[in-house]
Amino acid sequence: MSSVKPTASTKWLSQSLRLLHHELRRGELTIIFLAIVLAVATVFSLTGFSGQIKHAIVSNSTNTIGADRVLRMSSEVDSAILEKSQSLAIKSARKIETESMAFAGDNMLLSELDAVSDTYPLRGELRVKTSLTQAESTVVNAPSPGSVWVEPSVLSRLNVEIGDIIEIGVAPLTIAGVVTDIPDRSYRAFIAGPTVILNIADMPKTELIQPGSRITYKYLFAGETDAIETFETWIKPQINETQRWYDAKAAQNRLSRILDTAEKFLSLASMLGIVLAAVAVAVASRRYGQRHQSTVSIFKALGASISHVRKLYCLHWTLLSCLSIATGLLLGYGLMLLGVNAIASYLSLADAPVTFKPFVTAIFTGLLCAIAFAIHPIMSLVKSSPLNVIRGFNQEQVARFGWHQLPPLLALFLLLFIFSQDIVMSAALLLGGVVVSFILLLFGRGLMSAGRSVGTKAGKSWHLALANLKRRASENSVQLVSFTIAIKLLLLITVMKSSILSEWEQQFPEDTPNHYLINITQNQIDPLKAFVEENNIANQGFYHVYRGRLSAINGIKTVDEDKEETPVTSGENAATDKKPKAKKAEQQESRQGMGRELGLTWRDEIPEENEIISGQWWQVDDEKPQVSVESNIAERLAIKLGDELTFTIGSDVFTVPVTSIREVNWQSRQLNFIMVFNQSVLDKFPTTSISAWSIMDKDRDLVYRFLANFPTITVMDFAAIMAQLNSIIEQVTVAIQLILILVVLAGSLVLVAQVQASMEERERELAILRTLGAKGSLLRNSVLFEFVALGAIAGLMASIGMEIAVYILQSQVFNMPGSFHFQYWLVGIGAGALFVGSIGMLSCWRLLKLSSVTLIRRTM
Amino acid sequence: MQVNSESILSVKDLTKSVQVEDKTLVLLQALNLNVAAGESIAIVGSSGSGKTTLLSILAGLDLPSTGQVYLKNQPLHQFNEEQRSQVRAQHVGFIFQQFLLINSLTALENVMLPAELANMPDAQVRGEALLAQVGLADRLDHYPSQLSGGEQQRVAIARAFIAQPDILFADEPTGNLDSKTGQHITDLIFDLNAKEGTTLVLVTHDAKLAARCQRQVEMDSGILTEPSALVATDDLGKDQINSKNINQSESETQTPVSQEG
Repeated sequence: MSSVKPTASTKWLSQSLRLLHHELRRGELTIIFLAIVLAVATVFSLTGFSGQIKHAIVSNSTNTIGADRVLRMSSEVDSAILEKSQSLAIKSARKIETESMAFAGDNMLLSELDAVSDTYPLRGELRVKTSLTQAESTVVNAPSPGSVWVEPSVLSRLNVEIGDIIEIGVAPLTIAGVVTDIPDRSYRAFIAGPTVILNIADMPKTELIQPGSRITYKYLFAGETDAIETFETWIKPQINETQRWYDAKAAQNRLSRILDTAEKFLSLASMLGIVLAAVAVAVASRRYGQRHQSTVSIFKALGASISHVRKLYCLHWTLLSCLSIATGLLLGYGLMLLGVNAIASYLSLADAPVTFKPFVTAIFTGLLCAIAFAIHPIMSLVKSSPLNVIRGFNQEQVARFGWHQLPPLLALFLLLFIFSQDIVMSAALLLGGVVVSFILLLFGRGLMSAGRSVGTKAGKSWHLALANLKRRASENSVQLVSFTIAIKLLLLITVMKSSILSEWEQQFPEDTPNHYLINITQNQIDPLKAFVEENNIANQGFYHVYRGRLSAINGIKTVDEDKEETPVTSGENAATDKKPKAKKAEQQESRQGMGRELGLTWRDEIPEENEIISGQWWQVDDEKPQVSVESNIAERLAIKLGDELTFTIGSDVFTVPVTSIREVNWQSRQLNFIMVFNQSVLDKFPTTSISAWSIMDKDRDLVYRFLANFPTITVMDFAAIMAQLNSIIEQVTVAIQLILILVVLAGSLVLVAQVQASMEERERELAILRTLGAKGSLLRNSVLFEFVALGAIAGLMASIGMEIAVYILQSQVFNMPGSFHFQYWLVGIGAGALFVGSIGMLSCWRLLKLSSVTLIRRTM
Repeated sequence: MQVNSESILSVKDLTKSVQVEDKTLVLLQALNLNVAAGESIAIVGSSGSGKTTLLSILAGLDLPSTGQVYLKNQPLHQFNEEQRSQVRAQHVGFIFQQFLLINSLTALENVMLPAELANMPDAQVRGEALLAQVGLADRLDHYPSQLSGGEQQRVAIARAFIAQPDILFADEPTGNLDSKTGQHITDLIFDLNAKEGTTLVLVTHDAKLAARCQRQVEMDSGILTEPSALVATDDLGKDQINSKNINQSESETQTPVSQEG
């Protein structure tokens, strides 16, 4: 550098290259290099990885509808729609669903009939075994015309084997194999019996399609996201009220809630990764600016112009950024592959493409970090006065808040927005972050001062440690804010993770009923009761069900809006479709629900998971007619206590007063009813019963064989949908844990960068203290205690911050009930002390090991 | 000035060499030196002559390659880092050319530091008093960056005296200051030194500063000589000092008079 000549205006290029070369070799740029690498790698791996996971989750969940989108209707589709989909290069498949008896000799079985076209399914796998001894099932499309695939229970219940012929309608069809996986089976709640799949070409032969028969036509579509979206925009306005257009999310409320939460969580985790990375870059570039002050001052003192210095450092910085970004991309790609490999056995990512998004986002993040987070330090560096040569270079720049904080804040916002596509979430995170940082700054200083007073009475090491903390309050409070934020984010993720998971788990406690039996006649109850008792099958007892309509409220006739008849209006129907918080769904439901047939029941006792919110439950022997109404329906239909409700059962009409309003926990998969009467009201009507059973896989055949004796009972099988939900929950859990590890890694590296940034000052201080005669143990302890105290204070503040953030997130973002987690406070404080203490100690260990003469030489 | 004839610092046959790749570089050669308690001695010499290396060893910051160093009768050459730290905390004060103040601490806090390390109960009172003595009573809460070079060095001087050291090592204390400020700092050091009765070992290449010491020795390429011409003639005890002294590694005939420990 000594060869700088003020007139050599082009020299800046070679000087810049030389500067980069020397500094890289001497390790001067390691921290800033690592910080940008970290930012880019974190963003790349998080975006890429969560993108892949999201893709896998979404594609696994599209399996539950066998396509990207489905059009369901009660008649055949207009050919214009299929032509349009073809013109957009969207693949389509057809499916006709109905129920029919399957016959084999004297045996018959009500079965779910799926007639599918050759391209079915478009997403997910239809798997079949062509012999029962076959170990692995094979992936297939539609069976060839003339043959069928059946669920295993068909074989046992019809007493047939593969290769035998069964009759569907009037068509004899050969059983070509047993089906083990049906991709869109889980969506169908009301399954009359085991499924029989035939080729759609055979459907006319069955003669099942007659005027008035209950047939559902489904058109499945799958293709490129853009094409599907274009198609969706085109088709949506044409959908009438008897048709439904849906995707995987809309298909299943529960599933969509899980996917939604998972998506939000993953993008939240990714955003936190960005914030941590940005902090690392900001810290490192500030240090960079300070370290280079002397070089710039000397350059200027030697006569270099501002523009020379500016060009020199711009190029230097650009080269450094490019190098760091490239390395970050490589590292991030490696990390992503590592993560993908780690979960390969849990989640099929094989078809998840590596998109440009992570590359673009990561490069953009790297550039934004390198520019926005470094612009202030670099600008002040360029402005370094040549006077420094005389006045010395050791003037610490204390971080102050001012306009220069604006570029990084804007950059952060931009990054968050690009990442989340959610302006509210980004703004909330950013504004919250700024406010919290200010509060932390003040609070942290307060705590450090308090610590100083306590420390005076403690041992010498503590005294020195806390004195150091307080004395370096300005530097420390900046460090403290980052430590606090890092710990808070980690706590937040841990707490949110466990509360999300436990909420999910609660949805499926053990013994959750997975089969619903309806149409049980009174004389069937006793043998069924004996059977469940003998075989130890968990069940929820038997409820009388009466099919009736609410025809008037206080004498005013209710409007019958719904044209589509719902086959079963048991409580389960409501439990699946009705979500108190899903407002939109609720409104749709409210229009449908007004005039439909309801499942009515009577109870002596208030049902489990029900709570009276107004009025009173009746006495068992109360003969006076009464009804208890579910609270959401009551609210929607504006039903109040004392209102007179008129019901129609068959040709009978009766009116009862409302004596209580009940809140029902629809989350529980109990049998729930909207209208519950006292016994005297319904006793005189003919009834069937309903029951909910939890059937283990091992008992399945036994149960189905037994139920074959009661052909009138309809069995609704939810086992498949629950198994699929459980596997998705497992996948999401793995995804969350992996992303948590990445965030922890990012957090740790930020802490190391922070400690590194204070290293020169520490080295100098240690040298002085050593010279003044401080003992090694004193220095070690004071460094240790200083970090421990810093970590503990950060942990305490992080715990408070986490608690507030969790509350807000739970109530505002994830729609969960708020909860407090005091047990995590100790974890936060302890982990903060341990984490910051060990990282601080490890980072300073080399310094503490240096002899005093080495220290003093390095300092001078 | 009253000079206690008891030797506070004694060096015998001291050498210091370092290995640079495959060569041995000799920094100090067979030095002998005795410093009496209360004495002020200047080690002069050009840059690179080994002054600072010698000072580091005398103050127990570094160890000699061979030879013996006794400070307050304690064999520094046999002590480990920890023991030497203890000796420094108890007996030694420092003033450096670069001031070496801790930037994040205020003037008062910097001054208090050695007293705190030595567990002195009235660190703050003493610190304030010393800062007042060096003329910085109104700068107690200022940070080093808010002080001029001269002011920073005055803080360093106050810090050097707060723990009432037996011996004060000053390495080019005016090297970073203009002559007027340097003069003022020199006055301060000598005044306080006289008042506190501290032994002063001063390393400098400034002949005027060196001249204010009772005794001067000269370093040249790692060899210590004591030009008698430089010795002030009117100083009390000069004969004793001269008779005791020292050195001349070249001269086989002279041996150190005082050997303690």
